[in-house]
Amino acid sequence: MPSFVKRLISKPEFGPFVLLLAMVFIFWELNPAFLSLRNISNTLAFTVELGLIALAMTLLMTSGEFDLSVGSLFGFSPVLMWTLYNTGIASIEISFAIALATALGIGLISGLFVTRLKIPSFLVTLGMLLVVRGTALYVTNGFPQRTWNAKDLPLAQLLVGDFTVAGLRLHMSLLWFIAAAVLLSILLTRTKTGNWIQASGGNANAARARGVDVNRTKIKLFMLSAAMAGFAGVISSIRTAAANPNSGTGYELEVIAMVVIGGTALTGGRGTIIGTVFGIFILRLMRNGIVLIGVPGLAYNIFIGTIILAMMALHSWLDRRHQEGG
Amino acid sequence: MGALIQMQGISKSYGPVHALEEVDLTVGEREIIGLLGDNGAGKSTLIKILSGAIPTSSGTIAIRGERVSINSTSDAISQGIETIYQDSALVPELSIARNLFLGREPLKGPAFLGWMDQGAMSEVARSLLKEVGIEKDIPPTTPIGSLSGGERQSVAIARAMYFDSELIILDEPTNNLGVAETQGVLRFVRNARDSGHSCIFIAHNIHHVFQVVDRIVVLRHGRVVADDIDPAQTSVEEVERIITGMEG
Repeated sequence: MPSFVKRLISKPEFGPFVLLLAMVFIFWELNPAFLSLRNISNTLAFTVELGLIALAMTLLMTSGEFDLSVGSLFGFSPVLMWTLYNTGIASIEISFAIALATALGIGLISGLFVTRLKIPSFLVTLGMLLVVRGTALYVTNGFPQRTWNAKDLPLAQLLVGDFTVAGLRLHMSLLWFIAAAVLLSILLTRTKTGNWIQASGGNANAARARGVDVNRTKIKLFMLSAAMAGFAGVISSIRTAAANPNSGTGYELEVIAMVVIGGTALTGGRGTIIGTVFGIFILRLMRNGIVLIGVPGLAYNIFIGTIILAMMALHSWLDRRHQEGG
Repeated sequence: MGALIQMQGISKSYGPVHALEEVDLTVGEREIIGLLGDNGAGKSTLIKILSGAIPTSSGTIAIRGERVSINSTSDAISQGIETIYQDSALVPELSIARNLFLGREPLKGPAFLGWMDQGAMSEVARSLLKEVGIEKDIPPTTPIGSLSGGERQSVAIARAMYFDSELIILDEPTNNLGVAETQGVLRFVRNARDSGHSCIFIAHNIHHVFQVVDRIVVLRHGRVVADDIDPAQTSVEEVERIITGMEG
């Protein structure tokens, strides 16, 4: 086998990329509507919202931690923003800034608990998941906040405004997603910060011995992850014209699945934004595709579980092969 | 020869166990010390204290006569003390070049961007690997996890070499190394002295120690039992007898 093919196959992004191509081809073969402009437009609109969270989670998981509270923040941040705005306490821009700042603060608290008190991120963010979701429900009495008059606001246009390219209706959120993917990929692969993130997850003691501030690196990533979840929640609330305190329930596991399917190691040290982008599309297109080809939506989890197991087996095999110099 | 490092009255206890008792160790400028002792003699404990990995129970450390406190590995590095452990303290997922420069990445462009100069990192890594005796043409972008134990050790040595530490502590650096790699390490130790560095060299293979050191210090049961053995005037067998306590 030529060496460039070997190198290509050994990359963690290769497996998810092939799977994504295969899925697109199979769903399109079984139902050509899968690649219709309307379906692509609808799928992209929802995909990038979860995708924004997955991008930040990739960095956090590369540093050896993860955050279960992102689904709750996805619900809480827009609830906070629209409550402030609807009650006349603040303008929409100030409300948006307060919502993001609060998300950053929640990320900071999670990060401090994990790094200073040495409590596993699973337990800290599980607690935070309940605190944040509980607060969203308590503040709203469980009712959605109205956002239906938001569409004409400049901020809403900036975040979710739609435009058409070659007959395809797209949202601004797609551009935010692309920008975030490019920036975070560069951050991880080209910068000193990316080196420190990977070192923190790969061998924290070795990183500390070289003067890397592992704790500060992880705290910043908890803050980024929380802020991105809040940002995605705000975008979703404007697009769907509702800030529901229950929205985002279960997203944390779906996001983590997207990241690991893409080739990022759950144990830290290895992460890939490109792989995560593939992982995001694999899960979202699977949900969309199985409905279009007539498989009952309730069977969705069977497919997702199978994909996760298959991709984990593939990544594990590639890792072993790599270690053996294959 | 002036003293670079002076450790005085160093003791370390783990509960009732005394790992080190009133140990004095001096390392001169441009001096290579061979630190020998049987398993459990206290060599690793002494080195861990000097490299900031563990605190001392009592005793003082001075560098060029000035008392210093070394509370962490970062403190030790900033004082010019670099330690190369048996397990190399590298990050398996990072490439050779990224490991070499971890914590001191060369940047290009505006500093706030933190943009690594990966071209320069690869270039330095390639030439350093040759200097420490890795003759295979391993690309600097290769992850450390896919290297052999010996190759990893060589990368750790290359790092100490590049960053010009004043005192380089090598804890079993020739373990698991091939002949060429071992010769590379020994050559590196000699070069280090010639270019003004001091070294503490710990190895189970006494023959390796004899090839490079100026003076041998022997620890037994946490105490210094000999600290001025001249390898040019002493046989390997005599040193072995001192290590085991069977001097007769």
